Parts: sequence; C-alpha cells; structure tokens
Amino acid sequence: MTHGRPRIQSLIFEVTQRCNHACLHCYNVWHGADGAPSDYPRGELDTERTLALLGKALDETACSHVTLTGGEPLLRGDLNAILDYLRGRNLPVTIISNGRLLGETAAVECLDRGVGLFELPLLSHQREVHDRLSGAPGAWDSVLEAMANVRLHHGRFAAAFVATRLNIDHAAEVMKLAFAFGAQAVMFNRFNPGGRGRANLDLLLPTADQVRRALAAADTAAGEYGLPVSCSIPIQPCLVDTTAFPHIGFAYCAAGGARAYYALDPIGNLRPCNHAPQILGNLFEESFADLIAPARMKSFVEAGPAFCAPCARRPDCQGGCKAAAQVCFGSLGDEDPFLKMNREFAKIPE
Amino acid sequence: MPVPRRNFMQLLGISLGSMLLARCQRTGTPEPTFVMCYEAVPYTPMPGTATPTRIAALDRLRLCWLRFDELEQKTADARDNGDDGWEDNPIGAARNAEHRSALDALIIAGRITAAVGDLVQEAFSAAVYHIWRSNVPMTCYEPMMIDYAPAGAASLVRQSDTLAEIAEGATIAPDTLTKVRSALEHDLAYYALTDAEVQALFDQLLKEYQESGKEIPSFEELEFTLTPDVKAAAQFLLDVLTGK
Repeated sequence: MTHGRPRIQSLIFEVTQRCNHACLHCYNVWHGADGAPSDYPRGELDTERTLALLGKALDETACSHVTLTGGEPLLRGDLNAILDYLRGRNLPVTIISNGRLLGETAAVECLDRGVGLFELPLLSHQREVHDRLSGAPGAWDSVLEAMANVRLHHGRFAAAFVATRLNIDHAAEVMKLAFAFGAQAVMFNRFNPGGRGRANLDLLLPTADQVRRALAAADTAAGEYGLPVSCSIPIQPCLVDTTAFPHIGFAYCAAGGARAYYALDPIGNLRPCNHAPQILGNLFEESFADLIAPARMKSFVEAGPAFCAPCARRPDCQGGCKAAAQVCFGSLGDEDPFLKMNREFAKIPE
Repeated sequence: MPVPRRNFMQLLGISLGSMLLARCQRTGTPEPTFVMCYEAVPYTPMPGTATPTRIAALDRLRLCWLRFDELEQKTADARDNGDDGWEDNPIGAARNAEHRSALDALIIAGRITAAVGDLVQEAFSAAVYHIWRSNVPMTCYEPMMIDYAPAGAASLVRQSDTLAEIAEGATIAPDTLTKVRSALEHDLAYYALTDAEVQALFDQLLKEYQESGKEIPSFEELEFTLTPDVKAAAQFLLDVLTGK
C-alpha cells in the first residue's frame, strides 16, 4: 500500500467510448486495426458510479486539471452533471470534442459550468478532406459552427490539426482559418498510429520531410498571426531539427513524471496516457498511488528503442511515443512508427 | 458571473507574482532606485534557498514573494541543464513550505486567522505554479499554455480581415460566419477602446458619483462576491508586500 496523494498535473477522463465520427487516424485503444473492437474492456457507468469514480481519482491525488475526452464526450447525456461535479471541486476543465454536438445551447451549458478550453479538430481548410479524415460527412461544417458557438459566448478553443499524408500540405491554411475563427492556439499533432489509425499507417503516416515542410509553413503562420502552436505528439530531434521553428513548442512524453497525464477510462481502468493500451489496474480496486507506483510504471518509463541508446537527447525524447510502438509493433521497446519509417534519414544529435 | 473564492485568490497570486517578477515592487529603501515596471533588470539571485528562521515571520513571508526571479531562473536553468527532478518543481515546493511556515507562525501569533492563512497560501501556490509552469516545456497532450493577455485590438482587426478573405473563397455556412463576426465585433467594441476613451469612461463614472453626491467606493465597499476572509486575505497580502 502506498500512502500520500500523488500530484498530477492533469487527469484525462475518457467519459465514454462511444463516438459519432470514425476518424481514419483515431488512436482510441478500444478500436482494433481491422475495424473490429480490440480486446480492450468496454463499458460505461451510470452517473452515480461515474461521479464516484471521478471523486475517488480526485480524492486520492492532488490534481490540478481535468480533461474530458472519449470517444465523443458530448454523447454522454449526463455530461452537465459531470461538469457540475468538477466545478464544485474548483477544477479547471478542458473538453476534447469533435464539435459535432457542440451547438449553441451545448456550448453555453458547458461554458456556464466552467469549461475553460475546448480542443476541436481542424484537419483542413477543405471540407472534403476534413470530412474524409473524420469519416463523417458534415464534420467540417459542424466543427466550424462549434468554434463559432464557443467564440460567440466568450469561450476559448484550441484547434487540433492532425498532420497526415492526406492533409499535411494544408497546415498553413488551417492556421489561417483557426486564427480567423479566434482560436487561442493550434495543436500541430503529427499522426500517431494507434487504435483504428494503425490500419491506415501507409495511407496516413507522413515522412519526416513532409513534417519539416509543414512545420516551416506552420512556423511562418504562427509568427504572422501571433498564434501559439504546439506539437503535442513527440517529433524526434534526430528526424526534425526542432530548433529551426522558433514559434512552435515541441513536447515529449511525460509518462511517469510529475507532469504525466494519466488516462482513466469510463469503467475505472487507469493507463499511463490516452495513447497507451497498457492498463495499470482498476481504480475501484486499488488506490491511485498504488496504480502509478514506480514499480508498476517501470516497464513503461524505462522502455526505449535500442536505436536511441547513443543519443544525447534520449532523456527528453525517449524515442518518441512508446504507446504507438507498443500498439503497432507489440513492444514498448520497439521504435515509434514515425521513427521506424524515417530512421534512414535520422541524424542523431550529439 | 461571480468569481469563485479560490479562483480570486489564485488570480490575485498570479497577478502579484507576475508584477513582482517584472520588478513592480516597492524597494523599501529611503531613496529608492527607480526600477521601471517592465524594464529589463539583470538577474541578481537572492542569497541561499534556506531562509534563516530568526528573521521575523512577516519578513520571511515577504521574502518568499520577492524571490520569484530566483524560482524562474533556477527552473529555467534546471530544465536547460537536464537536471534530474526539475519536473517535480522542488524549488517551488521549498518556497511553498517556507511560505506556509511563515504563515503558521503568524497564525500562532494571532496576526491572522487560519482561514485567512489558507487563502494567502492559495494565492502563493498559484503564483509559484504559474511561474514554474511558464518556464517548463509542454508535454504530450498537456493543456495549452494560454496567454493571460486578452487579444489586442490590432489582432482582432487582423482576424476580421482574414475572416473576410476566407469567407470570399470558401463555402462556410452563412450562420457560422455571422456568429464569428458577431463575436469579433463584440471583442472589438470592448478592446478597441483607446487610452483616451478609457479615461473618458473613468471620468464619466467619477462624474456620475460626484453628481449623485456619493463617495467613490472603497475596496471594502465594492460589490465583489467575496467572503470577509477573502477580503482580509487579499488586504493582508497587499499590506505585506507594500511593507505596511
């Protein structure tokens, strides 16, 4: 038994596994590569049990922020009850949504309940490209309306651009559109295979050269519009010289550290992050501190590809996304698919 | 919308911390050297991390607030040097402990109540977190760093122009465009006030008070939805930092 309340900067709570889109790049761990469900446990609790689960997570940690995601969180009929509960605990809340159900009424309900930020996808300035990647006709119109609704009622949103082979040349235009709609920031997330997305590896995974070009365009746009841009999915410095893009922030895996963002699924299973299929245990059965104890996180934290052994940046970069390596190649110690695909062009930093 | 009790103290802490980092502080010297707000000042580390306990609690408390530059610099250095443990913000944790210790001494001495002490600690912790957070890189899927400053009028005008340009070439739904334009117009109306217009607004308010024969309200009279403890905590904090 571990005592004390671990400090966690953000808890990612997957309130539902249901979704009304079928994104080609979806990383949700409960989707199998072949379109069928994976063997990941599925389910959803009623409101009372959901709040009990959330309460236990918050009681057992010193948590300073909660992100509600899914699936599509707005499919939960009791989302307002969850938001009311979080507001009662004085916690800032972010919602990651595809925007389809974020009409004006829903936007106002969320904002009135203290949602501080929405993360909404903006995959292209072209309707057909956004809709194709979302696997849902009408997705582009819906998300633009969602952004307008949030903005109209003085809320804040960040536009999330998932860079794939199909849309990577649209980065600059997406930044422009996001700026015009009043985005607070843009997340430039290169496609990170997992869930359904791993079936589309060849179709979607961009080359390092494509990513470099897109980052250059995004960096110029970021400077031009004064719009903060962050790369939330790790981009290995051996593949892309990140120092060449001064307007863009680059992020690496925080799993196991003080800034980890553990993912809690709708039925209480805790994972190192939302990309990782590895279940640490169920929060109904064990304490949060026990679930994230160093011994249990060890295999995740210490894993890394042999290719990265001589690299001076390894402590930061960690080889990229271990979860993607595990999902695609079966081992946390394997190479992140983006690294594996582009390894021949890698220049290991000294 | 009323500001929740905790949020007010956190915002106050962040604001004070940011101001102190910019050296908007009383120097306390008889003939103060003039340090302009926002003027770049070379970093001069404060001595040692351990504050001697023989210093009076009030001074220890004040010192905690005046050492944010050290927290900022050391966090940035640790990050750049790849030092172990910087992610845990050990410097911030030490500062929080020092601040709490000084507050506890003041509570025991009857200078403030425990409730007020907790609120002041809330403000300090928020400032520490904000300064630390502003000096560490982002991590995967972490919430975005949000600029606390509102969008400036120039940026809003640029947004409006860009929206008009996009609207011409794309087939965005008219209702959606109308909503975005309305939001922009609202913000422009709010932020586009010039300094002269802001002054005119203040003058008008002052005139209205004077004409109605009322005194300008004091801090205590302002209709914040704040509890007496919060007001006491905010006032205490301001007194400590201004050396009263």
